[in-house]
Amino acid sequence: MTTLVAVQDVAKDFPLKGGGNYLALKGIDLEIRKGEFVSLIGHSGCGKSTLLNMIAGLDRPTGGTVLLEGESVKRPGPDKMVVFQNYSLLPWLTVRENIALAVDEVMPDLARSERDAVVEEHIAMVGLAHAAEKPPLQLSGGMRQRVAIARALAIKPKLLLLDEPFGALDALTRGNLQEKLMQICNEHELTAVMVTHDVDEAVLLSDRIVMLTNGPGSKIGGILEVDIPRPRQRLTVVHHPSYYSLRSEIIYFLNRQKRVKQWQAKPHKVLARHGLEKVNLDLGFIPLAACAPMAVAEAKGLFAKHGLDGVQLVRETSWRGITDGLLDGTLDAALMPSGMPTWMTAGGHGGEPTPVVTALTLSRNGNGITLASRLAEQGVRSVADYRDYLLRTNREPHTLGIVHPASMHNVLLRYWLASNAIDPDRDVHLQTLPPAQMLADLKDGSIDGYCVGEPWNVRAERERHGFPIVGDLEIWSGHPGKVLGAREDWALAYPNTHIALTKALLEACRYCADPAHWNELSLLLSDRRYLGMKPELIRFGVAAGCCDDTEAAPHTLFFGPGVNRPSRSEHLWILTQLARWSEIPFPRNYVEILERVCSVGVYSTAARELGFDDVSYQRGGIALFDGVPFNADDPIGYLNQLSIHKDFSIAEIPIGVPAPITNAAS
Amino acid sequence: MSTVTSSGFNVAQWWKRSRKTILPPLLGIGGFLLFWQLSASLGFTKLSGPLSLWTEERTRELLLYPFFDRGGLDKGLFLHTMSSLSRVAMGYTLAAVVGIGVGIAVGLNQALNRAFDPLFQFLRMVAPLAWVPIALVMFQQNQPAAIFVIFITSIWPILINTAEGVRQIPQDYRNVALVLQMSRKRFFTKILIPSALPYIFTGLRISIGLAWLAIIAAEIVMPGTPGIGFFIWDANQNGYVSDIVLGVIWIGAIGLILDRLMAWLQTRIATGR
Repeated sequence: MTTLVAVQDVAKDFPLKGGGNYLALKGIDLEIRKGEFVSLIGHSGCGKSTLLNMIAGLDRPTGGTVLLEGESVKRPGPDKMVVFQNYSLLPWLTVRENIALAVDEVMPDLARSERDAVVEEHIAMVGLAHAAEKPPLQLSGGMRQRVAIARALAIKPKLLLLDEPFGALDALTRGNLQEKLMQICNEHELTAVMVTHDVDEAVLLSDRIVMLTNGPGSKIGGILEVDIPRPRQRLTVVHHPSYYSLRSEIIYFLNRQKRVKQWQAKPHKVLARHGLEKVNLDLGFIPLAACAPMAVAEAKGLFAKHGLDGVQLVRETSWRGITDGLLDGTLDAALMPSGMPTWMTAGGHGGEPTPVVTALTLSRNGNGITLASRLAEQGVRSVADYRDYLLRTNREPHTLGIVHPASMHNVLLRYWLASNAIDPDRDVHLQTLPPAQMLADLKDGSIDGYCVGEPWNVRAERERHGFPIVGDLEIWSGHPGKVLGAREDWALAYPNTHIALTKALLEACRYCADPAHWNELSLLLSDRRYLGMKPELIRFGVAAGCCDDTEAAPHTLFFGPGVNRPSRSEHLWILTQLARWSEIPFPRNYVEILERVCSVGVYSTAARELGFDDVSYQRGGIALFDGVPFNADDPIGYLNQLSIHKDFSIAEIPIGVPAPITNAAS
Repeated sequence: MSTVTSSGFNVAQWWKRSRKTILPPLLGIGGFLLFWQLSASLGFTKLSGPLSLWTEERTRELLLYPFFDRGGLDKGLFLHTMSSLSRVAMGYTLAAVVGIGVGIAVGLNQALNRAFDPLFQFLRMVAPLAWVPIALVMFQQNQPAAIFVIFITSIWPILINTAEGVRQIPQDYRNVALVLQMSRKRFFTKILIPSALPYIFTGLRISIGLAWLAIIAAEIVMPGTPGIGFFIWDANQNGYVSDIVLGVIWIGAIGLILDRLMAWLQTRIATGR
């Protein structure tokens, strides 16, 4: 397919009334192929209509160029016809006259009768023959928009530009018109660009969805390919496997933009008090039982006790929100899966390798693998049954949910599958989902099972949608769960704050570890600010009758000898696993990375100052259920000896020299 | 459009429906006339009461025979009115043509607007009567001077409204013209005029009232030509008080009719949209 429109490094600024400029868009690069339907989506004020107007030629970019078929767009013209949001029909003309006006203007060489035929054809195309003689004001909004579309199509534009075409319509009319537009676009192989803020509309109509970030200086935040085959039907599209992931991708993007906007709206001066470099912290977490130390530190005033009297807990819905929050600086530090510090340091998030440090392991265990109840009905009781089941039904897709590529869930689930001779990339499909969505997906059958932290395993079992196939204690008892993570440059800029934060959370961990407090914790976490669910579903011990041999032991470990100290060998093991599944290349400079990721010094200082000297010593070695020994001195040899793995690579990860953030950038 | 019930006209029902709209104005006008008549009969004022229009022979004759023409300036009221109206027609037409033309130019051109708007705003504040001496000096003759006074009084609402109408053409309509690459001429006839028409008509309607006001002023000050203004002036000179009252009522009625006429035209234009 050839390129029809090329938007090259386009920028647009508007002069402001009080002097100065408002930079609406910058650095926009976009190629639109012939026959493609592209949507522009973003929050209001992100400049998506401005971009459309520049493609239309109604507005001129202040930087860069817009090319249509290789020629620079300098002024509007009928070859790039616009369907405006408010229809822009001339009220003193009838429907027919409105369309005829355009046809007469654009095709003056045709004979009268031919032009009339074009007009009638397009009136009929949008099904308005009965209303041809009516003035637009006598028509409903949907009918008016059909007239506007007919007028646009009648002049045979190369490019159809739609500015929130269905924004002002009721849901039913909108649905009908979307189908009509899709049908017309398919039949005439139109190239179209549509501005919308309706996520479903974008997914339904588009081949590609361009997501714009917030202004000022909006840019393209991401482009999604919609791989749903055409012709599409409203009602069937929603059942396509990609539909919900595309939808949630866009919604995640829009929510992220909203959060950044809210964050920018507040003042963010660094407040230094009590001998700490920064006391106003935004700490990210996601609603899981393992966020208990954070909730406790907040509720019990432990942050304030250690001088951090401006701490805000920010609830994200997915780990991705945590990653992005750390990257764009809206979060100071966060609860994160134990694999995330090394994963981000190695550039696993797809951007520049961003060194992230962890000074504290907040929890261990607390995870489990749940399979759907319908598998139990088919006789799946053990992992061997599951392997047989997969072989038996190998034609069907088998999807398992994980929360994040860098989470222990992904690593443990893959390890468990691979050790049981199930290839996690060939025999099943692993899909990243927000924890809170797992249960819903399990219920409606779109996934077979998941590996996730509590309370989602307990809930699935209680509500009889799933059953536990294996607990994490049976895979690796005492594996690291969640850690405290912060960017290295942040930690270097605010070293005393980092220690104070570690102290506050370590003290909270000790509180959480006491079984006498568990009921109180359940009640605390059931609050809407944290998990927002019934307290009896939030458990820290093992449910009776699940795993007999471990019933007496607390499931989630928050505190104890060797529990909280960041362990280099554990992070190395995680690195080998992330490399094993090609999430990241195995870093040749792994020693340097581990040295920088594990802030053992900060932990030791914090523990010593709290008087917890007894918890500082090293834990025992890494012992997984299959008994394969892990030699921390030869990680590559260990990797090679594992039977199932992807083609991993080994590379030097450039992480620069450690440097604190400058205050100007914060 | 709802259908009208065809099964006979029911007076009682009609009354019930329109009582609220008809009764108050009837009461108001009736009360006013009664008060006026009483105060005249009881001698509170020298002004003759409304009944005198009929009881006095001169005015009764004028009422009954509006078309008589005894030559010179001794004409019936209708003929006086017609000559006034013809003057209004000339001045008003001129004002409409110039006002709409200049209004469009000013509306389209920001610089022109900036240049002339203060002048327009200033001139529009000058009362019709104040123009009379200037007009007489300029034209040295009553007829063109009177037409000029009408013109200069009634042009401003037309001009200002037209300019506003042009400025208010929605950006959407302009965009349509831009995208279709309409020629200037087609933009004018297909978009600018139809879009600004309601504004232009508002201006025209306001102006017709002003034009009518101005003609009376002009004729009263410039006697010697037939016209309703002259009629009142003449009656005043001769002390025919009820003639003056009749003239005033006549002027009011004609003004009302002119205004209604424009209003009707306006709705006709508006419903075509």
